[in-house]
Amino acid sequence: MNAVLYDVALTAYILAAAAAIGSLLGRRDQLAWVALLLTQAGWICHTAAVITRGVELGRLPFMTMPEVISLVIWAAVLLNLWIERRHRIRPLSAFVLPVILALGLGLPTGLRSIVLETPVKSGWIMVHVALVLVGLAALVLNFGIALMYLVRERQLKHKRTGTFSRRLPPLETLDRLTAATLTIGFPFLTVGLVLGVLSAPAAWGSLLTFDPLALFSLVMWVIYAATLLGRVMGQWGGRRAAYYAIAGFCVLLVTLSAGVFLHGRHGS
Amino acid sequence: MPPGNVLFVAGLSHRTAPVAVREQLALEEEKIREILADLTGRGLLDEVMIISTCNRVEVYGVAAVPGEARSAAFGRLGSHRGLHWRDLEPLVYTVTGDEAVLHAFRVTASLDSMVLGEPQILGQVKDAFALARSAGTAGPVLHALMSQAFGAAKRVRTETEIGRLAVSISYAAVELARKIFDGLEGRAVLLVGAGEMSELAARHLVDHGALPVYVTNRTWGRAQELARGLGGTAVPFDQLAASLALVDIVVTSTAAPEPIVTAAEVRAALEKRRTRPLFFIDIAVPRNVEPAVNEVENAFCYDIDDLRSVVEANLKERQREALRAQALLEREVVKFAGRLQQLEVVPTIVSLREKLEAIRRAELERALGRLPGAGEETRRVMEALSQAIVNKMLHAPMVKLKDSSRAGHARRWTEMISELFGLRGPTRPDSRE
Repeated sequence: MNAVLYDVALTAYILAAAAAIGSLLGRRDQLAWVALLLTQAGWICHTAAVITRGVELGRLPFMTMPEVISLVIWAAVLLNLWIERRHRIRPLSAFVLPVILALGLGLPTGLRSIVLETPVKSGWIMVHVALVLVGLAALVLNFGIALMYLVRERQLKHKRTGTFSRRLPPLETLDRLTAATLTIGFPFLTVGLVLGVLSAPAAWGSLLTFDPLALFSLVMWVIYAATLLGRVMGQWGGRRAAYYAIAGFCVLLVTLSAGVFLHGRHGS
Repeated sequence: MPPGNVLFVAGLSHRTAPVAVREQLALEEEKIREILADLTGRGLLDEVMIISTCNRVEVYGVAAVPGEARSAAFGRLGSHRGLHWRDLEPLVYTVTGDEAVLHAFRVTASLDSMVLGEPQILGQVKDAFALARSAGTAGPVLHALMSQAFGAAKRVRTETEIGRLAVSISYAAVELARKIFDGLEGRAVLLVGAGEMSELAARHLVDHGALPVYVTNRTWGRAQELARGLGGTAVPFDQLAASLALVDIVVTSTAAPEPIVTAAEVRAALEKRRTRPLFFIDIAVPRNVEPAVNEVENAFCYDIDDLRSVVEANLKERQREALRAQALLEREVVKFAGRLQQLEVVPTIVSLREKLEAIRRAELERALGRLPGAGEETRRVMEALSQAIVNKMLHAPMVKLKDSSRAGHARRWTEMISELFGLRGPTRPDSRE
């Protein structure tokens, strides 16, 4: 049941992404509405899928890597909807949804192959997962908005004024939102990662065991920390901050795929 | 609309008549009010309104013989300046029926304007309609036409981008600033040099909330004068480079032969500004701002050619949007035709209902008169009985009338029903020759 719901949600997201991109390029406002409705519908299905999965398996539905990724997507879509509404940035989905889909396309297979995983001994690990999850969702948005910033900046520098340019929000708004998503995401990520490190000995018996996901997480954390520091110091704004947001996200992608494909301690 | 009468528009506009003619026909409100009353008084028109702006003079009317009505109307309009109908005739276009409806919608939605999509025309049409109403010359057809025209114009504004894009250089500057800044409220503007266009641009920015305004000029007195006009502060010319760190938008238009703002200065200013962007609008020729400024991170520089190409692109976009608006209006015309046909059967329905109601009341009174001892209960039953009979009898002819109006042969049925029930003719007696 939950697998079917996941498929429906994913399909809705794919269609929504196509509609959002179409609304950005074309001159029809209706497409933006279609994109919004599809995203909302997809998100509701997704919520139902997460709940039914928890009920069907009789446990919390974020215990395997695919499940965690699914929840990152769930939270990111929610955040995307909220920012679009709050800041009236209609085409944000056009940038965020494709990223989300890149994360999510492997899910249907991942979620179907339920491997018996070792039961989690510590409740702290659940908190670790939940916090990292919220942090990652904000960083997905951070990436999408940074991408939008770079496109907007290019348009302004090259003095292009087509329909496309008219649909994008002001440059400053985008800069402010990349800063905001980083500021929200980073503390969650940090506390979540620290909890992970602290509870690792309890779960794995040793802190020093090599784990690819933990390693990449550290690299990712350093990049985001540097970006945030640069912003606070007031030197890295605009384009540079956007480049760092993109670099950080690339490492984030590597980190997650390391969790899925490399068999470290996180992989099931 | 009374049978045999036609809705028409006759007029001349910037498309057909030179300004020398248009200005002579532009009359003040009181004169137009007189003409309106006079035209309906003579029985030439059932309903009439006149739109008179600097770009068009148009007569909207309902008349049995539009040709006669328009020559009378333009004869009256021209008579104040000694213009004869035969001089005006070659300049006047006339459309009737659906074409007249479409024309009215196009004018109101600013699709027929000199500057496509300009917003004033809607208000002007509203004023003209209000004048006709207060003069008592706007009847049911013009009411229906105008209320739908205003609705359609609003739809065109909200559903197409025809009025949204800047079509002047000074407005284009505002439009661009809003792509960079998240709202213009509280953005500081620096105006360098004096010039009509740059002053206008600064004024538009201020209208959108930009504040404070600094003005600088090589001549100190001129700077002070300009600053007063804009409600800003004058800044000495040698402070220009230092001021860059304090403002968000710079508008330049001096006659300097060499650039007065260099990339190095901008880079230095941006370092102090941390990450806030700086926007240059350079209206001067030769340019006041070094082109390399646009290469500096977070600085954006648009010169006069850039602004012009923005305006040109916007004008093209407005033309494309006009096509969409036209399609929208054509659908509105179809809707209006349905409304007009309904309008045709309404008088018959009303008089049929009135007639039966009068009969019912009279008969009810008579019957109750013969029953002096009737209690409240009996009265209520008889009231209900009579009402039920009338409603049941009305039902079939009303459905028939409404159907026939949709099918387009309402006239046959209104006549037949009037004849059968002995109603007063649906036409007003004064409009029949």
